[in-house]
Amino acid sequence: MKRKGLSFYVRIYLKILAQDIKSKMSYRTDFIISTIGMIFTNISGFVSFWILFRNFPSINGWNYDEMLFLYGFSLVSLTPVQCFFDNNWSLRMYVYSGDFIKYCFRPINLFFYYQSEVFDIKGLGQFAFGIGTLVYAWGKIGLAVTPFMLLKMVVFLLTASFIMIALQNAAAATCFWIQNSFYLLDLTFRFKDYAKYPITIFSPVFRFIFTFVIPIAFIAYYPSLVVLRPDAVPILSWISPIIGIIFLWFSYKIWMLGAMKYSGTGS
Amino acid sequence: MSAMIEMKNVTKEFKVLNRREGLKGSLKDLFSRDYKIVRAVDDISMHIEQGEMVGYLGPNGAGKSTTIKMMTGVLEPTSGEILVGGNVPYQNRTKNAQEIGVVFGQRSQLWWALPLIESFRILKDIYQIPNEKYENMLALYRSLVDIDPLLHKPIRQMSLGQRTLSDILAAFLHDPKIVFLDEPTIGLDVSMKSKIRTLIHALNQEKKTTVILTTHDMGDVDALCQRIVIIDKGKMLYDNDMAHLKSFFGSYRTLKIRTDGAMKQQAQTIQQEFSAFSVTADEERISILVDEDQSKVIDVLAQIQKTYAIRDMQLEEISTENVIQKIYEEGVQ
Amino acid sequence: MSLKKYLTLTRAGIMESLQFRLATAVMVIGNLLYLIIVYYLWKAIYASAGTDVVNGMTFTDTLIYLVLATALFNFMEMYTVWEMGRNIQTGKIVLDLLKPMEYQRYLFWSFSGTFITQFFFTFLPTFLVVAFVTQGTIPLGLNLLYFMISVVMAIVINYSMDFLVGTICLYTESIWGINIMKQVVVLLLSGATIPIAFFPEPLKTVMFYLPFQSIYHAPLTILLSRASDSQQLLTTLGTQLFWCVVMMLLSKLFWKLSLRQITVNGG
Repeated sequence: MKRKGLSFYVRIYLKILAQDIKSKMSYRTDFIISTIGMIFTNISGFVSFWILFRNFPSINGWNYDEMLFLYGFSLVSLTPVQCFFDNNWSLRMYVYSGDFIKYCFRPINLFFYYQSEVFDIKGLGQFAFGIGTLVYAWGKIGLAVTPFMLLKMVVFLLTASFIMIALQNAAAATCFWIQNSFYLLDLTFRFKDYAKYPITIFSPVFRFIFTFVIPIAFIAYYPSLVVLRPDAVPILSWISPIIGIIFLWFSYKIWMLGAMKYSGTGS
Repeated sequence: MSAMIEMKNVTKEFKVLNRREGLKGSLKDLFSRDYKIVRAVDDISMHIEQGEMVGYLGPNGAGKSTTIKMMTGVLEPTSGEILVGGNVPYQNRTKNAQEIGVVFGQRSQLWWALPLIESFRILKDIYQIPNEKYENMLALYRSLVDIDPLLHKPIRQMSLGQRTLSDILAAFLHDPKIVFLDEPTIGLDVSMKSKIRTLIHALNQEKKTTVILTTHDMGDVDALCQRIVIIDKGKMLYDNDMAHLKSFFGSYRTLKIRTDGAMKQQAQTIQQEFSAFSVTADEERISILVDEDQSKVIDVLAQIQKTYAIRDMQLEEISTENVIQKIYEEGVQ
Repeated sequence: MSLKKYLTLTRAGIMESLQFRLATAVMVIGNLLYLIIVYYLWKAIYASAGTDVVNGMTFTDTLIYLVLATALFNFMEMYTVWEMGRNIQTGKIVLDLLKPMEYQRYLFWSFSGTFITQFFFTFLPTFLVVAFVTQGTIPLGLNLLYFMISVVMAIVINYSMDFLVGTICLYTESIWGINIMKQVVVLLLSGATIPIAFFPEPLKTVMFYLPFQSIYHAPLTILLSRASDSQQLLTTLGTQLFWCVVMMLLSKLFWKLSLRQITVNGG
């Protein structure tokens, strides 16, 4: 048997992806309605944002354009979790009904196999919105367009998305222990809405919690400081890529631990 | 021949919550919980050789699925040893998975939205099946069943029978050493059942694949297995060949008939006529447990028809439950 | 109509939701965290504004409003659209239709148990904490009674609206898309995410003519209003009653029509 390296997994993922997209195209109405739903979500997000700033010119020393930048940043960094890890939402149903067992018999990584089953195209719409917002805010603030800046953006967007993936994995995995994990997932999903606000608004205790325990501050705030406030970048921002990877690894371990513990309901 | 599966004194225990009853009970459960240990599998040992087709029987909740889960590496036994194809399954789940195939009667493991052939192609990559082997396998499938109409149909559009068939084909695709079939014929009609039995038999013959078959249906066992293992309440009741069990039980079938008139009284006269068989009756029908080694069902029927007008008749195979009850009553080993 | 058969469903619902002990704990803790975020966010927003009163609302007013809106959301959101969508997709709906009870009622009473547990586990604790912390900002008098009446009507409006949207699932398989659209529109236009006072005037006028503000804005205004302006109270309750009847009739009618269409076409 050949060793199963990265290329093996990439090839399988692409194969499943291609098939999945093909079959999704056969559900045209669903695709259209979901896309409209996605657009609604984003528009309503913008409207809330706009109403808020109509009444308040700045929050905690961050002006409208900078907040818009944070907003766009969080949208883009949420794309991977939406696109590649959407099957996490169904996990509790599979566990509850006992159907999860069917994923346990393949000679490939269980986590990969489970997540590969669903690719969510809708995430791409969010990606477009996010990029649009980012570019707009970028221009308004008057940030430079240099290769180094762009590199920083890519690295820190990736970091942010790692954190979001980690949060969602961990939240989904709780269903291996507690049966109704939906609330927790829904909660993480709602938490992300607040990821776009600067962490400095919190008291030190909660700043600590939202940095190290439920690391939502890494979804937009710390990473974007590197670009927005290059003069005063805290050490946490620079090491956030490492933190992102660590959290991601942890969440993967938790997920797998749960899956191993899982024994299926009913005999 | 080498041992494909070797189990030694395997036991599996679960912690189960004792739920209290009623609304008050639910409130109490919220604050204090009461667990008990349930032994789902209790000291089971068995040795299965390559190419064997073993029927694994037992009533609901007997511990069949738990045993299968341990053999496939999903569950770790509480104590005892398991070797499957030389691997310890739970320690090396992925390696073990490469060597086995699994089918669950009503849970398709294939990609729901994809046509069967696409599922096959993905499986080919996942199991790293060489081209030549893959093509040979497809050719073999073609010679055994009419798969072409199925290949381009998405799984979700298939009937239960077609889905089961597809799942079985998918399980054998990578030429595994062992295939576990859990209730493969559950919910299927008679013709589909026989089609699936023929397929399993042919694949076992052709590929010398070891097959472990859990089922409720004595018909499956009768058609496929040389050897049967029966467990109940986690304990092993019987492990021997089919012929042995048959010789012990004879070939019993239950003949159920409905006649005109008072059936309870008629049953008494029939009992006198066939003193060797046990005859019972209720308001609905008369049941006669016929031992086919003594006389054919047809002859019994013909004999009764001389005296009574038979309105309706049914023939039932002896059920797993009957077998287990008999074993408890009389012992076999 | 014997009430007993409905109360049996309520009882079963309570028992079912109590079984998920850990889930309950997670829910309570999660809500707490969520409230903390809302608190700090608005504190920062008001601090940046420089004035104490914005659009007639003080920081405390806004906070109480938003916190209780969240609590109301948690206890009213029954994920009806999901439930209906799933039942329709799996065909379980056929079994439910065979029950000797109208489906709309059956579903409502099945949820009613969860309403009760949610009320005691999320809404009541939140309310007590808020009332205690803000000491006297929430008037405790006859308005509590009016509030309860208003909440019951809000539940009915919300449920009817959900049921109406859920019925659409009979026509299309896109549960996610339909649900997210509904959720986004309701949350924004009902004043659950941002108090209606902050909205620009033209939007306020539009919202006044829509049923959404009867779900969150109405009960919360009644609860928080100090002056016993019976004229305004009657208008609010009257509007709610109007929407209650309209939505109930609409959802019932739409369901009946859709069902006939479906059974005729054998879909």
